[in-house]
Amino acid sequence: MTVAAVVSAASVPAASVSAAAADSIPAPHIEYGVLSPLFVVFGAAVLGVLVEAFAPRAARWAVQVGLTVLGLVGAFVAVVLVASSDDWKGARAVVAEGAVTVDGPTLFLQGTILLLAFVAVLLLAERRLDPGPSGAFAAQASTVPGSPGEREATRAGAAQTEVFPLTLFAVGGMLLFPAANDLLVAFVALEVLSLPLYLLCGLARRRRLLSQEAAMKYFLLGAFSSAFFLYGIALLYGYAGSIRLSEIADAATQAQGSDVLLLSGVGLVTVGLLFKAGAAPFHAWTPDVYQGAPTAVTAFMAACTKVAAFGALLRIYYVAFGGLKWEWRPLMWGVAILTMLVGAVISLTQQDVKRMLAYSSIAHAGFVLVGVLAADDAGLRGVLFYLLAYGFATIGAFAVVTMVRDPAGEATHLSQWAGLGRRSPLVAGAFAIFLLSFAGIPLTSGFMSKYAVFSAALDGGASPVVVVAVLASVVAAFFYVRVIVLMFFSEPAADGPTVAVPSILTTVALALGVTVTLVLGVIPQPVLDLAGDAAAFVR
Amino acid sequence: MNDTASLLADDPWWLIAFKAVCVFGFLVVITLFNIVFERRVVARMQHRIGPNRHGPFGSLQSLADGVKLAFKEDLTPSTADKVVFFLAPVISTAPAFLAFAVIPFGPEVSIFGERTTLQLADFPVGVLYVLAIASVGIYGIVLAGWSSGSTYPLLGGLRSSAQMISYEVAMGLSFVAVFLVAGSMSTSQIVAEQSDWWYGVILFPSFAIYLVAMVGETNRAPFDLPEAEGELVGGFHTEYSSLKFALFFLAEYINMVNVSALATTLFLGGWRAPWPISLWDGANEGWWPLLWWIAKVVILIFVFVWLRGTLPRLRYDQFMKLGWKGLIPVSLAWIVLLATVLTVRRETDIDTRTLLFTFAGILVVGLLLSFVWDAVAARKEATKLEVRTAPRQRDAFSGGFPVPPLPGQSLDEPARQPAHSGAAAPDAGTTGPDTAQEGDRG
Amino acid sequence: MDWVPIAWLGGIAFGFAVFSVVAGALTGPRRYNRAKLQAYECGIEPTPQPVGGGRFPVKYYLTAMLFIVFDIEIVFLYPWAVAFDSLGLFGLIEMVLFIATVFVAFAYVWRRGGLEWD
Repeated sequence: MTVAAVVSAASVPAASVSAAAADSIPAPHIEYGVLSPLFVVFGAAVLGVLVEAFAPRAARWAVQVGLTVLGLVGAFVAVVLVASSDDWKGARAVVAEGAVTVDGPTLFLQGTILLLAFVAVLLLAERRLDPGPSGAFAAQASTVPGSPGEREATRAGAAQTEVFPLTLFAVGGMLLFPAANDLLVAFVALEVLSLPLYLLCGLARRRRLLSQEAAMKYFLLGAFSSAFFLYGIALLYGYAGSIRLSEIADAATQAQGSDVLLLSGVGLVTVGLLFKAGAAPFHAWTPDVYQGAPTAVTAFMAACTKVAAFGALLRIYYVAFGGLKWEWRPLMWGVAILTMLVGAVISLTQQDVKRMLAYSSIAHAGFVLVGVLAADDAGLRGVLFYLLAYGFATIGAFAVVTMVRDPAGEATHLSQWAGLGRRSPLVAGAFAIFLLSFAGIPLTSGFMSKYAVFSAALDGGASPVVVVAVLASVVAAFFYVRVIVLMFFSEPAADGPTVAVPSILTTVALALGVTVTLVLGVIPQPVLDLAGDAAAFVR
Repeated sequence: MNDTASLLADDPWWLIAFKAVCVFGFLVVITLFNIVFERRVVARMQHRIGPNRHGPFGSLQSLADGVKLAFKEDLTPSTADKVVFFLAPVISTAPAFLAFAVIPFGPEVSIFGERTTLQLADFPVGVLYVLAIASVGIYGIVLAGWSSGSTYPLLGGLRSSAQMISYEVAMGLSFVAVFLVAGSMSTSQIVAEQSDWWYGVILFPSFAIYLVAMVGETNRAPFDLPEAEGELVGGFHTEYSSLKFALFFLAEYINMVNVSALATTLFLGGWRAPWPISLWDGANEGWWPLLWWIAKVVILIFVFVWLRGTLPRLRYDQFMKLGWKGLIPVSLAWIVLLATVLTVRRETDIDTRTLLFTFAGILVVGLLLSFVWDAVAARKEATKLEVRTAPRQRDAFSGGFPVPPLPGQSLDEPARQPAHSGAAAPDAGTTGPDTAQEGDRG
Repeated sequence: MDWVPIAWLGGIAFGFAVFSVVAGALTGPRRYNRAKLQAYECGIEPTPQPVGGGRFPVKYYLTAMLFIVFDIEIVFLYPWAVAFDSLGLFGLIEMVLFIATVFVAFAYVWRRGGLEWD
């Protein structure tokens, strides 16, 4: 009786306040259906954290892998369902009170990211190549390398299964990044995708100091570039009075306010985006991080982060800065040319396979930027196709790197790869296909994607850049062919590495990489059409 | 802007200044009072008399102590960071005064013919202001510990900052329920909303959590680990002397008044008269409320003293466990529960009693489950420990020192020599094995 | 205007504190003794400390980070609580989801021993 009286008394002030606050705040409207891919991935990630907390250690690896794969597949199904419905067409594409845009490019990029992440997770889950409960990852990342604590953790069968929830969080951020319709959401997405990656980079089981150094470098530089991005957002907000992309575009076309604010804002935001995309002159982290991180993580980063970063770059440039085309194009010309040259030329001198692939990824960032330069729907289509093709090829290439091993772990020095084609022609052949695709040889996906972006850029009037791009391609091709020659036409060293037999996971990942690379090279039209259908940003 | 705020906005500058001086003076005087009060009450609890020499009932003791401190040598350790060492007491003391600014201690009155309320300032985010200012005070403690350049203060400063931030979370969470029901963060508005029922009654879980958190937040017994004399000498202010030390002391006591005043404001109806007195119509008019308010604050101060006189100090791990594993989850659960009840009551026409019984049922089941879980976990832990500690029997004199058995171990009774079992029986158990071991070690 | 009273009180409080610190140095005696100025360590020779403070357990950083997480949660809870009546059912559901999500991370830290002190 007394309790009931007390609670009914409690309602008195509450009622009086609700009467006072008659002008109630309208509840925001969230389109859960269209955003479902995000919810699925983040939900799986949160579940993964719960699994970490409560599942017994022995069961965690299997549960986490299952959950992660399920989450990614579920999200991909959701993307397909959304894409096949009409919910995202036209004005309805701008959802969640204008914070997120789910339009053609968003759905294409989200699908691409999910596919690539799926393949990368197969590599992450591989445990036969590096036998032990923790696979290619440190048993306990917090132990000092070489310390008794590390040996203890290894002996106890510890495994850092947090890798999988972290990957899912990163994927969630990547899905949101190209969909962000205002700069603050973009920043949140950028952090959500970056923070797990910083951690993942430091988890390698072998050469842990190198791995931790990579994580530290990536973290410090990444934090620095995030600060640039945020400062750019502040300046743009100061200019336009809004962080919404379309309103920034409106303010820019009306040319209200100070151009200094606008241009420095554009510049600073660009720095943040180019850093994530790994374009020169903000590429310096790439080789060290790619080399130090566990190879599966490198594959994930190289493929998925690039897609997400270029997706966001495209949206911000096309939607918010579309009216400023004449201001930013010269800048982008320079960046694209520099990136291609740096990537192609420096990769010539590399002696480490992972570093070589890192510089190759820088060069490819430059090629993608050529497509961005076109600043029209054809360029967009080319970029979308390029990202998909390059993603599969690069994951496949890193999958090969995980398989070539000597007793100390992965044998990444180029000299150790000599004669690999004679020992295991299949694996070396797969690597050769990826290299040919990187080089842009016909009948591989690389040729089609380069053709798509270069032709779009030519139509868009960026012919000098295209000339440089073709030259850079030739330089890079020379190098890739040299590696192929090394693998197939030189004598294998006596104590050279062996190609370990992986489990079904890596095999599937490798097979998918080869298949997609060849199929996109031979019959690219369906995917090009898909990208073409998708290629229009909703403002 | 509510009534209080608009009334305060009309204050002329001299009235503001007057009130600021009064608040300052009140805090200094009540600190002097509290020190004597604490010493006298604790003395009574310990069957002593306490200070009774200076002034009537020893009431000037704290003043005498203060004057004495002013004439002590002001030491600065040679390893100290001089500037920070100098600033830390200031950073610690000034926010303690400032936090009091938004506390309402009376209704509308007339001061020198000017209508105003007994409150220095009123913000829409008053409680947030108190929390923010209180956090600044923590800096003073951390910096004092760090700048001393000495081990004990460093550890004491770290401990107290860890402790204060841990309990600040619990404290902050306990306010959420108040804001939920009051619909405001302004202190005067919250007092106004409590005209019928005090939140300490209808939101009792929040009040209980706040009471625990406020003791932790002020580093008072039984949570006075940063100053644990047995371990850390004096904690963060080990190296401080003279008036700098007095300032830390002052800050601690003002903070006690602050959290008590905040508890009064948020949970005990502020300056409103307690029940039997509130039947008298004039109880909440004019200057009377100031009396009720001071009485409530002094009662809370008495609780502080009472705790100090009653409870032993907690161990650090127990203390952090209480904060992180007890108060925070319970607060979160309570907030969710309260919000759900309020929403259900508003959105549906389910009978309040049904609702309450449902939640009580869920709560009881949850509690039972948690007990079962705890018991199972404890048993598992015990068996694990037994398995892990290989020799169940252990040497009670390993390394030459008598050591107690670990959990799960049993003490091996020293094998008695048949020769000793006769005449020298009382000594055999203690000296016999000892000397034998001495012999073994050679 | 709201902040004028705070300024008054702040001025008085800071003035008093600074005055006390300065006065303490002037009124007290000064009898130099090198040993007296050493760091206090129960009478033994003080342990040498590196410049800028010694190393201390990483647990304190962990606690500080957890504090930030929860403090930010609280900062989000306050406006919700104040506007609770006008946000309705949507606000409740979203906030319960938010609390639950933060609690998942909390459960993880708890289970992994992040809250244990020894």
